[in-house]
Amino acid sequence: MSLVAVVAQTTSAHGIGGAKDLPISPELAIAGAVAALTVSFTVLAVAWRTPRFDEATSGLPSSGLTRLVDSTAWRLGWRVVGFAIFAWAMFAAVAGQDLLTNPFFGMFYVWWWVGLVPLSLFLGPVWKALSPVRTINAAFAKISGSDPEVGVFTYPERLGHWPAAVGLFAFVWLELVYPFSTELGPVRLWAAAYLAVMLLGGALFGNVFYERADPFEVYSSLVAKMSPWGRRDGQVVIRNPLANLDTVVARPGLVAVVAVLFGSTGFDSFKDSQRWVKFVQGNDFIVSHSWADDLADNIALLVFCAGVGLIFAIGTMATGVSSGERRISLPNKFAHSVVPIIVGYIVAHYLSYLIEVGQDTLIKASDPLSDGSNYLGTGDWSVNYWLSYHPTLLANIKVGAVVLGHVLGVISAHDRAIKLLPQRHQLTGQLPLLVAMVAFTVGGLYLLFAA
Amino acid sequence: MRRILATTASLICLLALAACGDEDTPASGSSDPVTIEVTFSDGTVTPQGERVEVETGQDVELQITADEPGEIHVHSTPEQELEYAAGESTLTIANLDAPGVVDVESHTLDQVIVQLEVS
Repeated sequence: MSLVAVVAQTTSAHGIGGAKDLPISPELAIAGAVAALTVSFTVLAVAWRTPRFDEATSGLPSSGLTRLVDSTAWRLGWRVVGFAIFAWAMFAAVAGQDLLTNPFFGMFYVWWWVGLVPLSLFLGPVWKALSPVRTINAAFAKISGSDPEVGVFTYPERLGHWPAAVGLFAFVWLELVYPFSTELGPVRLWAAAYLAVMLLGGALFGNVFYERADPFEVYSSLVAKMSPWGRRDGQVVIRNPLANLDTVVARPGLVAVVAVLFGSTGFDSFKDSQRWVKFVQGNDFIVSHSWADDLADNIALLVFCAGVGLIFAIGTMATGVSSGERRISLPNKFAHSVVPIIVGYIVAHYLSYLIEVGQDTLIKASDPLSDGSNYLGTGDWSVNYWLSYHPTLLANIKVGAVVLGHVLGVISAHDRAIKLLPQRHQLTGQLPLLVAMVAFTVGGLYLLFAA
Repeated sequence: MRRILATTASLICLLALAACGDEDTPASGSSDPVTIEVTFSDGTVTPQGERVEVETGQDVELQITADEPGEIHVHSTPEQELEYAAGESTLTIANLDAPGVVDVESHTLDQVIVQLEVS
């Protein structure tokens, strides 16, 4: 492999990373779909009939862990780590060259966007601890003698997570649709705009802005709800991840956040499928108008995200409700149950990419200016492609993750349904949502099969 | 909860059984190259995004007929860039060692010519 004469790498409109995963076999896809379907109805038929997950009582408090994570040294330590990685990425972005060997692309698309998911899943809300915008905001507050928690205004409650959904969409648009997503200028501009909006928002609304509106913190903290780490009355608790997931606060825009996350990942699989490639390149209208293939990608991304949101909204709202409940509030109250489905599909879609391009980025990070330097000592490492050489194992992990995510999603939706829905609608009211979830999972498996 | 876990566990085992039937085959390397005819004319290319199955280690030969010179990107790991002249020529894509889907794109036209399914 090292013998390949790689011509001076220029940027291309292809995104970073080379070969993609093989499609999963039809047998595996069908086995996964059957498993998802069977488990769904098993849960509905045999699971508990009184709610199990209760934020006020769940979890095992740990005073030792609380002392550790609340200590100044711990907090400051992670702020320094986060800021150091941020500063290194900025150095590569500003002083580095517009080549694919620039580690900024990998740090931006792989470490940040994909790496955040496993980190949050295992360690809890990591972006909150690492976020350079929180660090800068805290530093400003320190200098001016103000409190970083409070801003000039109170964050409007009805805005909820909508700004985060817009920010996440802006990211996936840059990554998946924008034709120059691997040219330095536009990616740097995106990062600069993100920084500017975040610092302004922090100044205006205080830290609550990051909690509700920072796309990365919302994403990371949402995935962190599937970790065993939670808080109750200020104490760190170790919780059953499903009970932890149940503590997600249903704010406006939460459905939009999960719809963008799941829809965009689905679109990412779809856009490389032969069906879409052949359509875009073979359609007479698209071929004869130079702008049309970009427009087609834009529309498809939008349709995937809006489609997920719409299917989920219909699935949750097609039930009888008690008199005190507004039907329109249901999608947000069930939205947490899509998080395991998202995480399962992210594992399936990104596992080999994260492991292999992630390593490649660590190697490139040693030479941020592409001048042959080896600042970090990682420059002469080589990428371990073990996972790619075991495609059967990889395919099994992918389908296993999708099915497991589906099962966890169905269980958390079930518990929420028996908490929210009136007695006589508790089972029938879950059916449309179950159908929606099966549709997501089977759709996801189909995309892995058709990839 | 226990019943659900038991059901889930048995289903996952079934899934694993269903999936473990086919073993990963080692790279052969010695077989003849796969030949693909590629024609560029008037700003279009054929084939257009076809899937071609390739064994790991097997080379791919592109037999090119082109009205203009151009460049082809092979999105293998690591990526390869190949240039061709106007007229007839043959390009060889080697080092397809890792299983995966490799896009072969016309850089000039920004279109996918073939997707190599290396397995």
